[in-house]
Amino acid sequence: MSKEKTPYKSSGTSASAPPKKESILELNRLVDAKVHVKCLGGREVVGTLKGYDELVNLVLDDTEEYLRDPDDLSKITETTRKLGLVVVRGTQVSLVSPQDGMEEIANPFIAADQD
Amino acid sequence: MVLTILPLELIDKAIGSKIWILMRGQTEIVGTLRGFDDYVNLVLDDAVEYSPDVHGEICKTKLESEILLNGNHVTILIPGGDGPEDSMATNFKAVE
Repeated sequence: MSKEKTPYKSSGTSASAPPKKESILELNRLVDAKVHVKCLGGREVVGTLKGYDELVNLVLDDTEEYLRDPDDLSKITETTRKLGLVVVRGTQVSLVSPQDGMEEIANPFIAADQD
Repeated sequence: MVLTILPLELIDKAIGSKIWILMRGQTEIVGTLRGFDDYVNLVLDDAVEYSPDVHGEICKTKLESEILLNGNHVTILIPGGDGPEDSMATNFKAVE
């Protein structure tokens, strides 16, 4: 199996200009679509993607934030609050997906009772 | 070509008006945006901080004078936002 040349490895010793940076995300496909964004601190929002930049800063419209259970802050509830037009910092983004792109599955880590 | 809004341009348009900042944890800040830099460190005027105390109740603190908010934990910026007192019915107590 031949090793694939990565797009950022410069060939030879010449200081050639680096190839144009391409995001692996292709957010242009998601513009005007409802997206679900998970942030690093546990915040989760859904909104219509209106804009972005190469650092994955996002502009979302009609944004709603999922509220967390006040007794257990690690738990996300279905209740939301409206935020409107927001900017999400790319440094704090951990996940961006189309809103319909996720569904909850049964917990695969719960060990079966019987051996 | 799809016309998208650049996030930092939206923040730039918000200079001079109210902005609501959601931080990485449970802290939120509302203030008048005076400026920002490439790292989205923010200069805010007449800022009010909403953060939970040890009991989980939201404490509201007025921050005197202009502040420099470190952009490290800035997660969500809401230009023209009024803060959590509008859309959320949480208990809070005002602390001067």
